[in-house]
Amino acid sequence: MKKIPRMIAAALMLALLLSTAGCGSSDGKTHLTFQIWDVAQRDGMQAMCDAYTAQVDPNVVIEVQVTNWNEYWTKLEAAAESNTMPDIYWMHTDQILYYADFGILADLTDLYAGEEDNYYANHFSDISISNASGTDGRIYGIPKDKDNVLLVYNKEMFDTAGVAYPTSEWTWDDLTDASAKVYAATGKYGYMAYNDEQLGYWNFVYQKGGYILDPETNLHAGYTQPATRDAIRYYVDLQKNEWCPDQNYFAETSPGTAFFSGMGAMFLEGSWNLLNEMKNYPDMVGKWDIAMLPRCPDPASGDGRGSISNGLCYSTAAKGKNLETVKEVLKFFGSEEGQRIQGESGAAIPAYLGLEDTWSKSFGDFDYMLDLDQCYGQFDYAIQYINNASRRKWKSNVADEMVKVYNGSDLDSSLARMQELADYYVTE
Amino acid sequence: MKNKVKLSAAARREENWGWFMVAPTIIGLLVLNIWPFIQTIYTSFCEHLGFGHYRFLGLANYVKMFGNAEFWKATWNTIFFCILTVPVGVALALLVAILLNAKVKFKGGFRTLFFLPLVCAPAAVAMVWRWIFNGEYGVLNQILGANIQWITDPKTAVIAVAIVSVWSSVGYDAVLLLAGLQNIPKTLYEANSIDGAGKIRQFFTITLPMVSPTMFSVLIMRLMASMKVYDLIYMMADETNPALTDMQSLMYLFYRSSFVAGERGYGSAIVVWTVGLILLVTLIQFWGQKKWVTYDI
Repeated sequence: MKKIPRMIAAALMLALLLSTAGCGSSDGKTHLTFQIWDVAQRDGMQAMCDAYTAQVDPNVVIEVQVTNWNEYWTKLEAAAESNTMPDIYWMHTDQILYYADFGILADLTDLYAGEEDNYYANHFSDISISNASGTDGRIYGIPKDKDNVLLVYNKEMFDTAGVAYPTSEWTWDDLTDASAKVYAATGKYGYMAYNDEQLGYWNFVYQKGGYILDPETNLHAGYTQPATRDAIRYYVDLQKNEWCPDQNYFAETSPGTAFFSGMGAMFLEGSWNLLNEMKNYPDMVGKWDIAMLPRCPDPASGDGRGSISNGLCYSTAAKGKNLETVKEVLKFFGSEEGQRIQGESGAAIPAYLGLEDTWSKSFGDFDYMLDLDQCYGQFDYAIQYINNASRRKWKSNVADEMVKVYNGSDLDSSLARMQELADYYVTE
Repeated sequence: MKNKVKLSAAARREENWGWFMVAPTIIGLLVLNIWPFIQTIYTSFCEHLGFGHYRFLGLANYVKMFGNAEFWKATWNTIFFCILTVPVGVALALLVAILLNAKVKFKGGFRTLFFLPLVCAPAAVAMVWRWIFNGEYGVLNQILGANIQWITDPKTAVIAVAIVSVWSSVGYDAVLLLAGLQNIPKTLYEANSIDGAGKIRQFFTITLPMVSPTMFSVLIMRLMASMKVYDLIYMMADETNPALTDMQSLMYLFYRSSFVAGERGYGSAIVVWTVGLILLVTLIQFWGQKKWVTYDI
C-alpha cells in the first residue's frame, strides 16, 4: 500500500516532464519568436508575420511578444549572455553598436546578395543604413522604419492670437514671435522648450551648424564648438521667456501632457507618437497640426535646417538556432511587401524608400487629416540620430551635466565638462 | 559526531527527511541569494566588458567610488531618507495600531483602509502622488494655497518621497504591531488600573515594553527597506528633474551605473558599500536593543 503515494508522485513527475517537452513544435512547423517593445505596433508586426506565413512559407509561424522598453534591454542582454535570444528582435540605435561590436548580432550585409546588388543602398537612405550598421560598417539589422522631429502646434490658440500657422519657411525668430503673441493673447504658454536631446537641443545644434559628434569620424564631441555652444545657449535661454515654462514645470508635466490639455501652443514631437496622440486625445482631433522645424536664421554653416532622424531595425543572433530560416523571414521584412504592410498598419514610417506615405493610410480613420507631407518632406533635412560606440557610457553623465545647466551653473564650464566626458573614451 | 553514531535507523531516516524538507529553501537561498552575493562582491573588483564578460581590476572601482562627490551625496541622501522615514513611520504605525486596537466602530473598515496602500502597485502609487505634489496643478498646493515645487525643489524633494514612503508603509507596520498589541494579556492592564495607573502611564509601563520585540522587528525591516529605497525615486523623478542629485539614493545610483551606463563593476561596488552600511546599522540596532527591548516581564 505504501507504494501508492510513490506511484502518484512518479506520475506527477512524468506529467511535469511531458509538459515541458510540449514546448517543442508538435505540428511539424517551425515556430519563431519575435520580440518588440511597443504595444502599439504589435498588430502591425503580427500582420507582417502572418503575411510571411501566408505568402512565403506556410511552415514558419512567427509569434510577436511585447516587453516594455525598460525591461527589454535588461532581458535581451541576459538572453544574449545565455544564448537564449528570441529569433528576431527590434534593435535600437542606442544599443546596436554595443551588440554588434560584441559579435552578438548576425551579419546581414550579404542577405540579398543573390537577388539584387546594392539592395540596401537602392532601397534605404544612408541614415537608415548607418542606424543599422556596426562600428565596422557591416549591416547588422534590416532597416525597419524611420522618424523625425516635428513642430506640433495648437491651431485654436494661433487663431485666437491672430497669428498665421507655422510654415516650412519659419525661422527661430518666428517661433519666439508667435510664442510671445500667443502668450499675450491667451495666457497660455508658447513654444515649450524642455531639457531633451532628440526632441530638444540636438535639433537646434545642427540647424545652427554645430555638432554633437564630429561628422567626419563620429568619435570626437563638439560640445565646445562655437556653433554648438550658441545653439545650446539659445535653447536653454528660451526658458527665460515668460511664455515658456521652466524646467521645474517640465520635470512634473511633460510638454505633451501640457499641450494636449491645452496649456501650451507648441512643442517638438517625434513622428512615432503622432498616431497614438490622435487616438488618445479624441477631443483634440482637428485642433492641432504639424509643421517642419523652424530653421536657424543665422547658421554658422549650412542652410539652417535639420531634424534628428532615427530608425529601428530587425536583428537576429549570430548564434541563433534557426538562423537560416530567420534570414529568409528578415529578407521578407526588408522587402517592399513587408515594409508596405508595416506602413499601412500605421506602426511606423517604413524605412523602404518610396513607401513613406503608406503610413498615411491609418491616419485616414480620423475626421481630421494631419499634414503628414511636412513629415515626409523633412526627411530631406534629416540628421542622423547621434550615437557612437561609447555613447552608452557617457550618455547619462552628459545628461546630468545638462540638468546642472538648467539649474543655473555656468554654461561654458558645463560644456567643457560634457566635452571631457564624451571624449574620455576616445582612443587614438 | 558522537550523537550521530548513537542514532537509530529510524532517527537517521527522520534526520534525512528533515534535510529533504528544508532542501528547497536552502537550495533556493544558495542559488538565488548567497551565490549572487558572492558574485556581486567579485564583480565589484572587475570591469564589465559586456555581455557577462569581466576583467579583473582590483580596487579601481572603489577608488573611483570614494573619490566621487555624487556617491557621497547619494550616501547622505540615503541616510537622510532613513532619518526622515524610519522614526516617523514607526511612531505613526504604533499610533495607528493602538487606535485600531481600541474599541472603535468600523474597525475592520479602518484596518482595510490603512492596509490598502500596500495592495496598490507601487508604480500607481507614485504616479498618483506625483499629481498630488505637482507644483502647478497639484491638489496639495491648492489645499495649502501655496506654491511649493515639491518634487523639483532640492529642499523638498526628499521630503516628498519620504511622505509617500511613510504613507505606503504605515499600514503594513501597523498590522504587525497590532498583532503584537493583541498578544498583551488583558490582565496586566486590569491589575495596573487597580493599582491606579492612568492611560498614559499604562502605555509606558505595559504597552511599550510588551510590544517592544515586535517594534524591534518592524524597526529593523523598515530601516533596511529605507536604505534600499529605489522604486519610489525612480517613479517620482525623471532623468531631467533638477533635484535628482539631491534625492537619488545609493540604490538609484546603482541602477543608473549598472543598467543605464552598463558599468556593472562600479554598480556592484555601490551595492557592496550599501550592504556594509546596512550591516553596520543592523549590528548597532542589535547591540542597542538590550537597552530597550523586553523579551519577558
